[in-house]
Amino acid sequence: MSGQVSAPPSERSSRLRGGLTHSWLPRGGPAAGRPAAGGPAPRRRSTAASRRTTRTGLLLISPALLFVTAFALIPLGFGLYISLTNWPLVGAYHYIGLANYTALVHNSVFLQSIRFTLEYTAIVTVPILVIGYALAVFVRANRPGSTAFRTMIFVPYIVGLVAESFMAVVELQPDSGTVNFVLAHFGIVKASTAWTVHTGLALTAISVLVIWFASGLTMMLLMAGMQGIPVDLYESARVDGASWWSAERRITIPLLRRSIALSLIISVVGSFLAFNQFFIITDGGPGTSTESVVMAIYQTAFADFNVGLASAMSIVLIIVVGLITFLQFRYLQGDAD
Amino acid sequence: MAAAVYDRPAQHRSRTSRSGLVWYLIAGVAISAVFVVPLLWEVFRSLQPESAVSNPPSAASFTHLTFGNYSKLLSGQGDILRNVINSLIVSVLAAILTSVVALFAGFGFALFRFRYSGLAFGVVLLAFMIPFQAVLTPLFLELHFLHLLNSLLGLALFYTTFNLPIGVFVMRNSFLQVPGEMVDAAQIDGASVLRTLFSVYRPLVMPGIATTALYAFLFSWTEFLGALSFLTNDSLFTLPVALSNVETGTYGSVNYGLLLAGAVIAMIPCVLVYVSLQRFYVRGLVSGALKG
Repeated sequence: MSGQVSAPPSERSSRLRGGLTHSWLPRGGPAAGRPAAGGPAPRRRSTAASRRTTRTGLLLISPALLFVTAFALIPLGFGLYISLTNWPLVGAYHYIGLANYTALVHNSVFLQSIRFTLEYTAIVTVPILVIGYALAVFVRANRPGSTAFRTMIFVPYIVGLVAESFMAVVELQPDSGTVNFVLAHFGIVKASTAWTVHTGLALTAISVLVIWFASGLTMMLLMAGMQGIPVDLYESARVDGASWWSAERRITIPLLRRSIALSLIISVVGSFLAFNQFFIITDGGPGTSTESVVMAIYQTAFADFNVGLASAMSIVLIIVVGLITFLQFRYLQGDAD
Repeated sequence: MAAAVYDRPAQHRSRTSRSGLVWYLIAGVAISAVFVVPLLWEVFRSLQPESAVSNPPSAASFTHLTFGNYSKLLSGQGDILRNVINSLIVSVLAAILTSVVALFAGFGFALFRFRYSGLAFGVVLLAFMIPFQAVLTPLFLELHFLHLLNSLLGLALFYTTFNLPIGVFVMRNSFLQVPGEMVDAAQIDGASVLRTLFSVYRPLVMPGIATTALYAFLFSWTEFLGALSFLTNDSLFTLPVALSNVETGTYGSVNYGLLLAGAVIAMIPCVLVYVSLQRFYVRGLVSGALKG
């Protein structure tokens, strides 16, 4: 059945030596916090065969390790190193210590991009969560049509922001775009409104686009979490005479904390790493007023050829994103589990 | 237990009266329309001639429909067909690579206990914590050294890497779901590791493979920043990069009819793949292994 959520796999992590729990991994949905099924699994293999097991195991995982090392870890280490040099895209370079990082403090383009990205993130996060939550409530029931509704609401996310940004470029044109045609019809804006050459208008248009695009993802994540809440909790609440809203507030929201944390992290981190919609719709303009952090890094590296500085920006970005993830998890997971 | 939990609880459909249902359907259609109608409208717009797309709407713009934008885009002038093929090559290659590598890794992590396997799992999942947007510059230099810049293979390797964490996670969970008795039975038989993998497990982990491949395909098909950075040769551009050239008018003057037709072409595989395989997609979401 499409859209129907199947039971998540229970983790038999006891089979893994050392019982690695990956507590830092965004684990959401119903899998979250479920105790391992069946307790510790009995040891299956004798120690005599353990060396062979190690060899086979390592052989099986080595391609994955190779990929991650070659194209994620080495670039990360390399980026750290480059950030301590004045690396130009071509030509000689030398070690300059933390000079790139201290230069960032006074780099108005970078600081402006951080401010703008934070502002954008602050604008879109709450609407995505609230609309996503409302949609999840609407589609979570197994009522006629709910599966089809889920599918349709999720389509904008599947299609991707890149194709939709190209469409937005056409539809935001003054005089010919559909957006002005519709809004002018209702007297909201003038038909000649130029959305992309005014910072506030551009931010508004892009925010609406992104909220429309991303709400379906939050809906799916929260719906999966809601479907993992045992029915009897609601039944006892109903026996107590609780209203719909008080059941939602007392049962759903607290038990959904992990799913809410996951969807918040995904949307906040996604907003913080935004590039496509700004590059395509405004190209950072007017001026550099709608330039996101990732765009500033891209420009510094590939237009200004200042690879050292761009790498320092990237390291700052990694730290900020990591911190956001950590704090949101800490805050939303609380110490209940 | 699972059945009890995942059957929709009764309290969510307390109002089962007929009028309640009618209102639910009306509201659902209205809400769905908000998400789907803009995309359908763009399909309609892409069928308008260029003059109708870039001029104020008139009565004629609703009746004169043509495939002109598509035929112009896919032949001669834009030659987007080549870019569509590039996108397909990269996405299919990334989907295959990701599924195969994740299949082996998931098998190794789930069913072989050995020293450092926990550490290795952590390393693989580290790519989770590294936003690819933040390693783009060093990766550009590295791919240059490896002669993988301006290469569809290089791009596919990049996409594979950043889809591996979710793939390995999904595959490992798939293997952990397989009943332990089946493993034991296979081992008593003395079946080799690969024989076990392909005979005993294959049918059981196919859904996991589908999930992994689907994610990698959709990611690669819609990815823009990496393709923009790592490809500089027009003939190798993937579809999104080629469309950004259409947008800025690299192929002569700016033609919004072509841009819309291209965006619709970019949208079609996503919708087709998702609608036909969506239960695998939702499975991946539920396993909570989604990267933002």
